[in-house]
Amino acid sequence: MSQANVSSIMPAHDQVLHFPKDQKPSLAPNEWLIWSGDLNKNEDEGANFLLPDLGHVKSKVLVPFAWWRSQLNSHHQEEILSKAKAGQIGVWFPADDDILKHAELIEQGKLVWPLVGGHFPIFRDGRSFSTAALLRDRFQWTGEIRAIGDVLIDQLLQGARVGFDSFALRPDQNTDVALRQFDLFTVTTQNSWRDKRSLLATN
Amino acid sequence: MYKYDHIDQTLVDQRVAQFRDQVARRLNGTLAEEEFRPLRLQNGLYHQRHAYMLRVAIPYGLFNSKQLRTMALIAEKYDRGYGHFTTRQNIQYNWVTLEDTPDILAKLAKVEMHAIQTSGNCIRNITSDAFAGVAEDEYVDPRPICELLRQWSTLHPEFAYLPRKFKFAINGAKEDRTILLCHDVGIELKKVTQGDGSSQLVADIYAGGGMGRTPILGSLIKTGLPWQLLPSYLTALLRVYNRFGRRDNLYKARIKILVKALGPEEFARQVEGEWLFNKDGEDNFTQAEWNRVAKHFTKPAYKSLLKLSTEQVINTASEAEKTAFTRWLERNVKPHQVSGYASVILSLKPHGSVAPGDATTAQMLAIADLADQYSFSELRATHEQNLVLADVEQAKLYELWQEAKKQKVALPNVGLLTDIIACPGGDFCSLANAKSLPIAKAIQERFDDLDYLFDLGDISLNISGCINSCGHHHVGNIGVLGVDKDGEEWYQITLGGEQGNNTAIGKVIGPSFYADEIPDVMSNIINAYVEQRADDEPFIETYRRLGVTLFKEAAYKNKSEHNKKKENAATAGDAS
Repeated sequence: MSQANVSSIMPAHDQVLHFPKDQKPSLAPNEWLIWSGDLNKNEDEGANFLLPDLGHVKSKVLVPFAWWRSQLNSHHQEEILSKAKAGQIGVWFPADDDILKHAELIEQGKLVWPLVGGHFPIFRDGRSFSTAALLRDRFQWTGEIRAIGDVLIDQLLQGARVGFDSFALRPDQNTDVALRQFDLFTVTTQNSWRDKRSLLATN
Repeated sequence: MYKYDHIDQTLVDQRVAQFRDQVARRLNGTLAEEEFRPLRLQNGLYHQRHAYMLRVAIPYGLFNSKQLRTMALIAEKYDRGYGHFTTRQNIQYNWVTLEDTPDILAKLAKVEMHAIQTSGNCIRNITSDAFAGVAEDEYVDPRPICELLRQWSTLHPEFAYLPRKFKFAINGAKEDRTILLCHDVGIELKKVTQGDGSSQLVADIYAGGGMGRTPILGSLIKTGLPWQLLPSYLTALLRVYNRFGRRDNLYKARIKILVKALGPEEFARQVEGEWLFNKDGEDNFTQAEWNRVAKHFTKPAYKSLLKLSTEQVINTASEAEKTAFTRWLERNVKPHQVSGYASVILSLKPHGSVAPGDATTAQMLAIADLADQYSFSELRATHEQNLVLADVEQAKLYELWQEAKKQKVALPNVGLLTDIIACPGGDFCSLANAKSLPIAKAIQERFDDLDYLFDLGDISLNISGCINSCGHHHVGNIGVLGVDKDGEEWYQITLGGEQGNNTAIGKVIGPSFYADEIPDVMSNIINAYVEQRADDEPFIETYRRLGVTLFKEAAYKNKSEHNKKKENAATAGDAS
């Protein structure tokens, strides 16, 4: 595989914030490249898009869901599936992807994806909150869902509640402040993936 | 009224701490203004023309005297001695600083208040009938549902960044006093009898209404929804909107555009499709939750009193004051469910006022005392920007009237031409194209004769300083909209709008007017009505009977004369 232009790699903080359900939040080095797919788009080449070089310092890559779809039934299919099974390829969903239209592919993907991402083109675009909620509620996806793109400190709480359990913050975000966000509230007034609404003690 | 439990209190206290940290990060420069903006908006903080404006939530318009005293003291300490009651039953302070805001919110939290979701692209503070629980024509007291949905929508994570703002209104009375059909979602509560003879509380859901640039009345998309299922159904509805509402164009981002583009049937079908998957889930309300909330909305300790006739009430006044008192009874006092009681509207629209809906610190403190003395310490804010004492003994109306007069909140103009609904407009709001307050003032001054106003009867006049329509001009019998033409402030007139059960969007009559033409235009429209009306026919009925043309011709009667005057003035100006 030839190396893709480095600008087609989505910027992300070099530390990933992990916040698995029922566990404490923590930081870990970011092992995943997030491939935007943009620069390799060439309609003449059809589905023969190129993956970024996996020999890069980071060995794992999140690919756009559309690219994943395009590779199924191609001669790359086996290679892609085996890399996914080996934990080296995951997919991310753009904010405007209607994931419900691809239910069958997502059901199949669940068997191989080590990780999926939900993209925030800009921090104030909340569509991926619904994507994460659907992945959890509808598809019963129990693996990791990572928030990617314009992910800021002040979206973490909402993200963590709807179904995200890891966050590739924008590189300029302060991870110490980010870690503190999850302790801000000890009560909630509606159910979410992470917790049920607070109830008064019954006596 | 509802009293916070430790969950509500903890949440509001923690929200203050969260915002304090966000403000600190803004002030130390680690949070950019563009990124802080939605955070402050979700806490009601706007950046206006002169200063920050803080909009404090009054959930479904209900508050108590203790809270009003806090509102008054905030006005005194952090603002310029007044607050502004808004068309969404909230209160705004126009002159706060960013640095003070966390402290203001902390003071509000102490009296179970907050500014959560009074702005931003999220589920806004829920509005309802200002006469909930006391109105004579009520089928269902909407307050328990209002409160349950307030809690459900507060800091809802999935719907914190919707395409655009999202407003709920909830009604449970025969007469709609909520402009239900002009909301993103209107919830009409009713009781139906089931097969076993028991009665079930259900909701009809209207979606896709709104004012703004594209006024549209909501469409009925669901009937007979059992109240318990509101959270799952609304989650489905909001999820469809969150995913498919437009985000490419600010002016096409409201749910009304999505509902219109899909068609109400298709929108309803998509919501049903989504709802199938969560309708039986744990998100729904339980009877235990109803009991927890509804126990706060029981009837206050009413005395057992005989219903007084209007004549008996009038006779409680001194001879000299009977005429004035009768007028007040006629306009500002509303019937009550309980015999011997009435609801009183305190008018925040004195003629020549600075702004409709403004109340000074002194007025707020005095009104809080009146609430303690005459109405079980509770108050309501109306979307018409007046205040209500909901539970007043008929026998004490005269006494209350005398007290209210001292505070200049007893003008008997409720529902009359000078009960103007207006946004703060270009004097304060940075979105506005034109000022609305001087227009309101000029009209009130022109029509300062109570005899004449009473003769005219019910007419609603709404003024918005821009197309965002905070003054609800689309549903005014007469609507005035500020528009910007080449940097000048102009005013467009609409006629035929109406709120209530016959809600209608007014029609634009033609080219706009200069500010100083507006009082004459109003006189011309009103004169046309007076000439044409049959017996006691209200303005809106005469308008409907005769159509727009006659009123339009009347409105433009002085246009050419006025233009000449303008030209002469301009020529004279050039010569000097």
